[in-house]
Amino acid sequence: MKQTLRDKLIRLVLHGLLVSLALITVLPFAYIVLLSFGDGVIGAQATIPESFTLDNYRSLLSETAFMSWFANSIMLALLAMVIALVLVSLAVYAFARLNFFGQRKLFSAILLVQIFPLTLSMVSIFRIFMVLGLLNRLMGLVIINSVFASAALVLVAKGYFDTIPKSLDEAALLDGADRFKIFYKIILPLAKPILAIVALQSFVLAYNEYVIASVVMTEGIESMPLAVGLQSLIVGQYGTNWSLYCAGAVIGSIPMLILFYSLQRYFIDNLTVGSVKE
Amino acid sequence: MKKTIAAVLMSVIALTLLLTSSEVRGGSETIRVWFSHIEAENEALRSIASDFTRDTGIKVDVISRRSIFDAPNDLANNAETGNRPDIVFMQAPDIGRMVYSGLLMPLSVDTYRERYAEAALDAFYLDGDYYGIGYSVDTSGLVYNKALISEEDLPRTWDDFFHTAEALTVRCPAGLVLVYGTRLNPRDMWFNYPIMRTFGAYYFGQTQAGVYNPYDIGLDNRGMLEYVDFMRELMEKDLTLTNPNQTESHISANFANGELAMMLYGLWNASVYQSRGIDYGIAPLPGTTEDKPSEALTTVQGFVVNAFTRNAENTLLFLDYMLEDTNQQQLIEAGNRNERKTGERNPANLSVMMSDYVQNDDILRSLSALNAHAEPFPNNPEGPIWYNYVPTALQAIFYGDADPQEKLTELTDAIRRDVRMMGETYDYVVLTPAFYVFVAGIIALIGAVYTAVHFRRRKRTRQKEKPRWATTLLAWAFLLPLFVLLLVFYAYPILHNIYLSLTDYSGINLRNYGLIGLENYRHIFTQGIGGLLSMTLWTFIFATSVVAISFVMGALVAVILDKMNMKVAKIYRLVFILPWVIPAVITLLMWRGLLETDGGFVNNLLQLFGLPGVPWLSHPLWARISAILVMTWFSFPYFMVVSFGMLKSIPKSCYEAADIDGASTLQTFRYITLPWLFRALVPVLIMGFVMQFNQFGVYILTEGGPSTGTIGDPGATDLLITFVFNMAFNTHRYALAAAYSVIIFIFVGLFAVISMGIARKRMGD
Repeated sequence: MKQTLRDKLIRLVLHGLLVSLALITVLPFAYIVLLSFGDGVIGAQATIPESFTLDNYRSLLSETAFMSWFANSIMLALLAMVIALVLVSLAVYAFARLNFFGQRKLFSAILLVQIFPLTLSMVSIFRIFMVLGLLNRLMGLVIINSVFASAALVLVAKGYFDTIPKSLDEAALLDGADRFKIFYKIILPLAKPILAIVALQSFVLAYNEYVIASVVMTEGIESMPLAVGLQSLIVGQYGTNWSLYCAGAVIGSIPMLILFYSLQRYFIDNLTVGSVKE
Repeated sequence: MKKTIAAVLMSVIALTLLLTSSEVRGGSETIRVWFSHIEAENEALRSIASDFTRDTGIKVDVISRRSIFDAPNDLANNAETGNRPDIVFMQAPDIGRMVYSGLLMPLSVDTYRERYAEAALDAFYLDGDYYGIGYSVDTSGLVYNKALISEEDLPRTWDDFFHTAEALTVRCPAGLVLVYGTRLNPRDMWFNYPIMRTFGAYYFGQTQAGVYNPYDIGLDNRGMLEYVDFMRELMEKDLTLTNPNQTESHISANFANGELAMMLYGLWNASVYQSRGIDYGIAPLPGTTEDKPSEALTTVQGFVVNAFTRNAENTLLFLDYMLEDTNQQQLIEAGNRNERKTGERNPANLSVMMSDYVQNDDILRSLSALNAHAEPFPNNPEGPIWYNYVPTALQAIFYGDADPQEKLTELTDAIRRDVRMMGETYDYVVLTPAFYVFVAGIIALIGAVYTAVHFRRRKRTRQKEKPRWATTLLAWAFLLPLFVLLLVFYAYPILHNIYLSLTDYSGINLRNYGLIGLENYRHIFTQGIGGLLSMTLWTFIFATSVVAISFVMGALVAVILDKMNMKVAKIYRLVFILPWVIPAVITLLMWRGLLETDGGFVNNLLQLFGLPGVPWLSHPLWARISAILVMTWFSFPYFMVVSFGMLKSIPKSCYEAADIDGASTLQTFRYITLPWLFRALVPVLIMGFVMQFNQFGVYILTEGGPSTGTIGDPGATDLLITFVFNMAFNTHRYALAAAYSVIIFIFVGLFAVISMGIARKRMGD
């Protein structure tokens, strides 16, 4: 009896906590949605617009190249996601499963190179793109984003792979399976939860990347990814079009929400796991 | 092991050689024009170009651009590539550093003098040459609401202006202002500049020949002090904004609401005024005497020619063609969206100015009448320096309790210091063979020490199992794709950056830079930056708190949602990832608005509960707390999502054991879940720390402020990286920025290596 009362209390506190956190999370987003429907919004203050209209969405779709930015970004993010998945699962398998010379050094190297604040001189990245002939090509962005995402996600995924018991590999080895087969047939299926996260993260990273894209994509409004295209709606110091930008941000976030929604069963649903037991 | 190092080094060197030595092939005869962000305008130029091609056989390619602000940086990057532009649409204030870097071709403008407004050519005049021809004049004037003041009653002198404004101000009995005569922004120097000039203050002095002298700054003279007194009087008369959070857009919003009779502004929000049914007009500014209006600061946008154009003759031919009166007419009409006459383009061409298209439209006509009273913004590379300091200084004077004389002296000192920094030159270093021997020696020494230490440690801690070569080969094969890409996209930029940090590469020396040795590092360590220590400490506290709080919060939320009823949890999860999927720029601006001290949503909410308001962003300590909280808000979804995955890896047996021991939910979280996640996420946490350490988002939220001391010192929420970025880019000293990034790299790298080591030891790995 006492126990259940306490449980109830805890549950109440938890729910209160979640609701207030959700409100804080939604608040700025709610203003963005309001602004996106706002008529005659001046400046990006969090104030409720005086009147509402669908015109922002209409002119976003008809007067800007929004649809092609949108398509570019989805394409870019999907390709980067696939490449990142391949790179990360190969690399993490090696780091977590194989005992080799230079293991630690190479792993630390991945962490160390990411520490360099490259934002301070994009000119170096530009030169790489120039030499490789990747300027103004979506493919260039796909490659660099998948590399950046992979570097970050190898660190995330290694922790997970470490927890998959090695006894599984050893048993399979005894059964005569080769390394590739073990990787493909045993490890990868067990790693689904983390792979789903790798997919999600690499998609979001590539989809939202702005700094590099704005430097290497210089020609043709239609070939820009969404992040850069949207930024171009902020014209000048005083003539800013925040309602359009907000409308773009609202539509632009939909693919990521869909992806998250469809992937969450891999890392949430308790039914898919269970095979991992020690 | 040695072989790998050698192989890695070899490939890096090969790559560097490859990247530095490659020449882009030329050969294309087509003239390339980087033009507008307005597609109709680009189309108009394309049709003009096709006429040109028909007549001359010279091909022209018109390229749509996303914004004119990118033009200088993009030109600097692309000036010599295969896709180099020949003609570029650029703002006149940007040409300074382009010219100093040798990227623009001087033009002969005599043939245009008769046909173009004076300001359109003068704006592109620098050190004895003309570098462009104006196309559109972006200027401001006296914008007025016709329902509140008629055109005939508009003030002609400044005295008259302020009297009229006072007379037009309407208050309700309680003293609240219903209609403002005018509203000025005390922090602003752009729109108020003409008023400052009437008092005798000025930004950069000019010689007779029109050359700017960046050391002659008139912002701390007697006139400026009189201006300060005058502005204070206006503040008491309700003719200015009342708190530092407010900007020009508040003024523009007042005007759109019909609460404002006159403002010193442009027509950038005209479509909003129209949709609100405001009948507005724009007139020349008042003047010191009735017949001579003051000159408003103006940005002229026009065409410049790439100094590296491969077919100068044809390029100039086409430039001349597109500047013909009839072609200008077509372009300007398209730029104003034809019959919509949006006023986005205010022609510099005299014939277009006098055309029916312009003259038959009230707004376009009055806009072009302003061209005669335009003062082009300084186009020397030092021009933009004041953006970084003037608002802070004026805020301290008008909203703080700073002594005006002292603050203004500080301001001019800060500007002069930056001007001097931009002008510094260094001797180039010639590398002798002895130098290479020296460097090789140092590398060999480091290598020797490393191997020695390495072997001793090897002996002490024997590895559990010696790796086999077969497995090693397999592992390397698995890692090959990732590491090749890491070499190209991480290692090369880092090396190139280190190289740049040893040169005098800068915004005014983009091409002919050379090695100057360790001068940039010397500069950093000798000149120092004010408050470096406290800023570094703050950066550490900031990054650590954000990562720690968002990790615990993310983990906690993940655990709770993991245990909850499926349907509700699904919705919560979607809500909680919102901060992560919406572009950060816009959410940061929203937060800035929500946290405003006066009238921000959060304080209004507190008021509703009878609580006092909090100076979220305007008090140094609170601003720091706000910065931490808001950035936590951004990063906790990341940790939540990662924790979701990691939770699945916790063996059920652990929980079962805890259950048997009778541990409470909270205890289970504290003693089982959190440590497990922490172990699995150590590298992620370290990366998170690095990301927060180099976080630019805070700057959008607080602009580094509130200011704590002298102008030019870091503000309360300035992180190392934002401060360095601002300082290096304000003076266009990119090499200095590169040197800083090397130092930050070493700094944070050491931290990461040490913390990795500690984590490893703790876990007994």
